[in-house]
Amino acid sequence: MYTYVIRRLAFGALTVVGVSIVVFLVLRVLPGDPLVAIFGPEGFTKLSEAERAGYMDQLGLSDPLVVQYLRWVGDIASGSFGRSFFRAESVAEMIARRGPLTAEIALIAVVLSWVVGIPVAVVSALRPNSMADNVSRFVSILFLAVPGFWLGMLIVLALLFWFGYRAPLAGAALWNDPVGNLQIVIGPAVVLGLGQAAYIARMARSSLLEVIREDYVRTARAKGLNGRRVISRHALPNALLPVITLSGVLLGFVLAGSIPVERAFGVPGLGYAMFTAVSERDVFVMQNLVFLYAVVFVVLNILVDVTIAWLDPRIRYR
Amino acid sequence: MTALDPETALPVEGVPPAPPRRRSIARRIGGGLWNFGRRSPFSAFWGCIAVAIILMAAAAPLIAPYDPLKSDFRNMAKPPFPGHYFGTDQIGRDTLSRVIYGARASLTVAIGAVLFGTTLGALWGLASGYFGGRFDIISQRIIEFLQSFPDLILAMAIAMALGAGLDTVIIAIAITRIPFGGRVIRSVVLSLKEMQYVEAARGLGASHLRLMARHILPQCIAPFLILATAHLGVAIIIEASLGFLGVGIPPPTPTWGNMLADSLNAGLVPPWWLVLFPGLAITITVLAFNLLGDGIRDVLDPRLRSAV
Repeated sequence: MYTYVIRRLAFGALTVVGVSIVVFLVLRVLPGDPLVAIFGPEGFTKLSEAERAGYMDQLGLSDPLVVQYLRWVGDIASGSFGRSFFRAESVAEMIARRGPLTAEIALIAVVLSWVVGIPVAVVSALRPNSMADNVSRFVSILFLAVPGFWLGMLIVLALLFWFGYRAPLAGAALWNDPVGNLQIVIGPAVVLGLGQAAYIARMARSSLLEVIREDYVRTARAKGLNGRRVISRHALPNALLPVITLSGVLLGFVLAGSIPVERAFGVPGLGYAMFTAVSERDVFVMQNLVFLYAVVFVVLNILVDVTIAWLDPRIRYR
Repeated sequence: MTALDPETALPVEGVPPAPPRRRSIARRIGGGLWNFGRRSPFSAFWGCIAVAIILMAAAAPLIAPYDPLKSDFRNMAKPPFPGHYFGTDQIGRDTLSRVIYGARASLTVAIGAVLFGTTLGALWGLASGYFGGRFDIISQRIIEFLQSFPDLILAMAIAMALGAGLDTVIIAIAITRIPFGGRVIRSVVLSLKEMQYVEAARGLGASHLRLMARHILPQCIAPFLILATAHLGVAIIIEASLGFLGVGIPPPTPTWGNMLADSLNAGLVPPWWLVLFPGLAITITVLAFNLLGDGIRDVLDPRLRSAV
């Protein structure tokens, strides 16, 4: 087990280094002048040659790429993540202020996706091709096609139309104002959670259908256990392993999906910060946020892998 | 015993080779489609809708009642009424026409991204699975780095770095598709290359290129098609999200994502018709491609149910 964890961590560290290089390459090296990104194509053409050089110097963009990369790594290591081009706040402060909201959204969404997805899958798998199965399969495939941010906009509109309700706009911390906080978080969490529940239900259904055919399930039935106990004690725990893995991947979808969804709801989380960074063409904030999201994604997947290994000895000893 | 490729099979002495009986391509495709319709009518129905949407996009200038960019200043921000069945936006552009033209942008991007990205990934996966060794290990690492980003985030970063535009959005989404194509096709190739007919062809002295192109590639077409249709839906959603976040195809080009973003700028409360119709268009299109993809998967290769 320990060797497995250590090996996984070592690979994870390698991945994080690779990720930082990819982020740096994409945002700094790809054809596309950072000044064009900051000032826009029209603004860029208005700058004189000397102004361009001045800005490049000021931003530290005229140093060799390796130096720039190492300086960025230094910024990350010191915990400040560098500075926004437009705001006084450092990126680290922004993450600390906005991150918790997005984390809450992601957490609630994951819990919700399990709470909704697994029962639907059990009902489906117990009677494959029944009416209930077909309906739930169609609904889940429908939810895969609905863009979360659009669903979010519709929900905001519907609440406003029929109930005259609008979620509070200002960010409220969980410990100061739990009710206000929940009002902000619940909308995006429901939208993202339902979207994920569709994936979970599909995966859990097919995995359950496979497991139900196994010998040990037949044995459990043969020794006289009732159906519910066979499912809850014998089939489900084994069927859930691939679902846990999928959940790790889906967390990435939630993190990414929360960007447009937070915009749709106007929730001031990290996703909204990403949207602001993109619309302001703030390369530096973008670079750090993209890196942060990727690292969180990598770490979550390591956690999932380790959990799976802990639950399933077959993987540990491979 | 698996059928040998007729061109590499050794001729048996005394027995004249059977004359090749080939149905015409048109009849083979027709028969295939008929078979598909019979085996999964539901998917075939949605496949027809997908085709209808593609035709709608192609024939947008003929179908759309108005010019999508032209303002009708007498009818601004009007809810749906006869004449403008989907209403008009805040500067009087016809929403129905914009939704129809939006299909062009979405499908161009989706098809372009899948053609580039999924295909490139698939070819990469083919090579890396076939050659194995160091090339494979390095490829796997690179693919893993690319897969460490949630795809929307990677697409956003690339689109932002390259600047807004149709081509850059296609490239951005295509790059996010590469790792998936690579992973799936590689695993298919890994099992294929141990097959006896491949061994046999190798024993007969076929070159690497020939083995890959004539013996392994044809077997990869089914998983590739399945993957590609699944990716079309994903690509459409990413494109819409990019448009919604303002890093997609720049306005005034009507795209579904741009229209949804515009509706938020229309005022404190977005008019419902500006929100409803573009989103419905996205949903129906993605649903059609996904269900078509499911049907193709069931017909071509039910074993891939969990893989893709």
